[in-house]
Amino acid sequence: MSLSPLFNLRRFLILAGALLLAAAFACSPAHTPTEGHASGAQLRDDAGRDVTLPQRVDRIITLAPNLTEIVFAVGAGDRLVGNTTYCDYPPEAKNIAKVGDTLHPSLERIIALKPQVVLISTASQLETFTQQLQNQNIAVFVTDPHDLEGIFRSIEQVGQMMGRQQQANTLVQQLRERTNAVEQAVKQRPPVRVFYQASGEPLYVPGHDSFVTDLIRRAGGTSVTADVPGAWPKFSNESALAARPDAIILPTGGSMGSANSTVVEALRNSPAALAGRVYKINDDLLARPGPRLVDGLEQLARALHPEAFKQ
Amino acid sequence: MLEARDVTIEYGERIAVADVSVTLAAGQITAIIGPNGAGKSTLLRALNGQLRRSSGVVLLDGEPIEKLSRRTISRRIAVVAQEAELRFPVTVLEFVLGGRFAWASNAGWGWETERDVRIAEEVLRETELADLSGRLMNELSGGERQRAVLARALATEAAHLLLDEPTANLDLSHQATLLSLVRGRCDKQQTAALVVTHDINLAAQFADHILLMKHGKVLDAGPPRAVLTPEMLRAVFDVTVLVDAHPVTSAPRVTPVHGRRS
Amino acid sequence: MTTRVTLRRTLIACGTLMLALAAAIVIMSLLGSEQLPVRASLCAIFSAGTSPCGLSRDQYDILFQLRLPRILLAAAVGGSLATAGASYQALLRNPLAEPYLLGVSNGAAVGTMIALVFFGAFEWSRPVLAFAGALIATLAVYQLARGRAGATPDRLVLAGVIVTTFLSSVIVFVTTLMDATRIRSFTFWLLGDLSGSTGTLLPLVIAIAILGTLALTLNARSLNLLMLGERDAFDLGVEVGRVRILVFVIASLLVGSSVAASGSVGYVGLVVPHLVRLSLGSDNRISIPAAALGGALFVIVADTVARTVIAPRELPVGAITALIGAPLFIYLLKRV
Repeated sequence: MSLSPLFNLRRFLILAGALLLAAAFACSPAHTPTEGHASGAQLRDDAGRDVTLPQRVDRIITLAPNLTEIVFAVGAGDRLVGNTTYCDYPPEAKNIAKVGDTLHPSLERIIALKPQVVLISTASQLETFTQQLQNQNIAVFVTDPHDLEGIFRSIEQVGQMMGRQQQANTLVQQLRERTNAVEQAVKQRPPVRVFYQASGEPLYVPGHDSFVTDLIRRAGGTSVTADVPGAWPKFSNESALAARPDAIILPTGGSMGSANSTVVEALRNSPAALAGRVYKINDDLLARPGPRLVDGLEQLARALHPEAFKQ
Repeated sequence: MLEARDVTIEYGERIAVADVSVTLAAGQITAIIGPNGAGKSTLLRALNGQLRRSSGVVLLDGEPIEKLSRRTISRRIAVVAQEAELRFPVTVLEFVLGGRFAWASNAGWGWETERDVRIAEEVLRETELADLSGRLMNELSGGERQRAVLARALATEAAHLLLDEPTANLDLSHQATLLSLVRGRCDKQQTAALVVTHDINLAAQFADHILLMKHGKVLDAGPPRAVLTPEMLRAVFDVTVLVDAHPVTSAPRVTPVHGRRS
Repeated sequence: MTTRVTLRRTLIACGTLMLALAAAIVIMSLLGSEQLPVRASLCAIFSAGTSPCGLSRDQYDILFQLRLPRILLAAAVGGSLATAGASYQALLRNPLAEPYLLGVSNGAAVGTMIALVFFGAFEWSRPVLAFAGALIATLAVYQLARGRAGATPDRLVLAGVIVTTFLSSVIVFVTTLMDATRIRSFTFWLLGDLSGSTGTLLPLVIAIAILGTLALTLNARSLNLLMLGERDAFDLGVEVGRVRILVFVIASLLVGSSVAASGSVGYVGLVVPHLVRLSLGSDNRISIPAAALGGALFVIVADTVARTVIAPRELPVGAITALIGAPLFIYLLKRV
């Protein structure tokens, strides 16, 4: 079939024009790598990322119970539009829309709630959906505190983000005072050797990178697992037995329910168990790196050094 | 003695075997011939006690076969079928020794006795596999493997041998060898044999008694000379044949005449 | 193997393996995340625990309350899984048959999870429901595999893969319903965890391992014939239906008790029977008991690695058996 050159050229032009139009429609205007709408503050999160946040954050989602507590504690709970099924404190948090649990939140739900910022608590959730959220112009902020100072910093950063710096600073101040009071009270006393049983069988303990290790230290104790690498390593029963702790902490009764309410077999004959120094503390006060951790610190200190707190 | 009386086997609507009676007499080879689907193998499996009958009886040495245990049956009836898959390495001797299982003193454990080994070695000699006894079964040729299957059946010392298309995958030389072995057994030890086969001429050479089956029914039964007639064979196979006498053995020789239908 | 298996060969092989097992138990009990004095420990072990031989109270407890029970559990679990694997391979005429592949392990895991969630207070509910789960999974696989030609080995393995992947999703589903801390513990357990306290379960697991292996070995000759074809075995006098039920029930018992005690330790039922057959031949009279002893050895060693390599932290023993088992299996496949 022979075609005149003129016919070919026309066809080509039409095709090219159509392609250009399609490309123009397909490309969304704001596909820039920056996050957030208007340029506001830039904060460095715990994963070392410099996150650009909008001037005013009206809609925020938290993906961990401790972050929910922090947002409410700085007085920004009215702007929390989504949290997880585990977020149960303060009580108002239960009425907020749920986007799933901490480990597997629903991306669609998150996007549907149109937040400007999503707070997440460990870097492990990061890779799975950060890019997708960024494409929707949602800022992702990672918190990963390894000690109490890190938690105070998280509170201050959330305060800054939500325009509640005043509230946040006051809160941190109060928490610092309470912490200092505890540390002063136990300063003169020899530290108690503590075994923190994060969960029973299999046996998990707080390691070097866990904020609980710092907490125990401030409460006048030494965690016998303080040097074990990692944050929550699975621990050998033998080493638990050999550690001969003088006190055992069982976080239980909160979100854990009745689990973890007995000491593991290997520690049944430890000095702690034989002396009756096994203390159950509400796990929500020890496992959530938020304001209530200081409540946990106070209970921990009272358990380890009761004489220091006799009024 | 193994006999079937008025045996009928139905699979739902389909009648696989209809009212068949056959007796396997000692020292005799009975051949069953017929087209595919005639019910030959089904009948064989009924004689072995494997298939349940809709009606009729199968008697082994006068007793109904259902009343006997598997081991009792296996001591008196041995089956030679197409050799099955060999997924695990096993030597020829071990394979043939399997035939002695039915004679083991207890059910699933126990070791082969001296006598078991002697009998196995004897049948290996009989089937000309003595040199290969230490080799693995899957190193053997098809013909040698089929002979090993026969050897295993012979090792059971059963008085009745049921062979289901034993020569199907064998070349010419092995076909004759296998059936001569069976013939030899029957002559020497008065074993009764039943051979299901497609090969009419082989049956004509070796069998004392032939059953012609079609659609589950026995159309004729008797010595080869009487049964292998052009009329009977046309009725069974729908094919024109020429029947003459084999020049050497004088057994009936059946030659199909292709391309002509009368 | 070109020589026949005899009673003498079997006794020699099993005797050697038993000595190796005894040696392994003693040697591995000297290793762990805590250092124990070698001479004192050996002295205490050979005195059967009656004399502490200079070990401190803690050292004695570590050796006799924690380490030795754990090693014995590892032996029982390894022996059970290897025997179950060897029996499945013989019955199903498939060298790839294995408790995990056939869905039996996962069935036992689901049973154990149900026991933990609903009957947590009763320790005995775990092995009972694990056994039930294993048996139900086995029956499901068998029913699924029955076509017109009967349950051929290939169909059985295919059905097994279907059932095991289905049950895997059930397990994942149940774990997502749990809270975060429980999820971590369950995930670890699912990969094989011998660190749990065994209490009254240890004698049960050991008893089942020994009795189960014995029962299957007593049917070894029938299994030899079954290995060459169900129809042939039937013709030669094997009560095929009875042996099949026996193998299914006993193997379910073996897998159920192992999974209830320690989660899913993979590859043992696959690799150990193969190694045994390669070195001792396919005769089940020797390969089933040898697989039991070999499996015990394998898991004892794997568990020692799991609990010492990053001490005081621990790895799940299933990860070690997979790390050793997978390359070994690839090597075996290439040889065969």
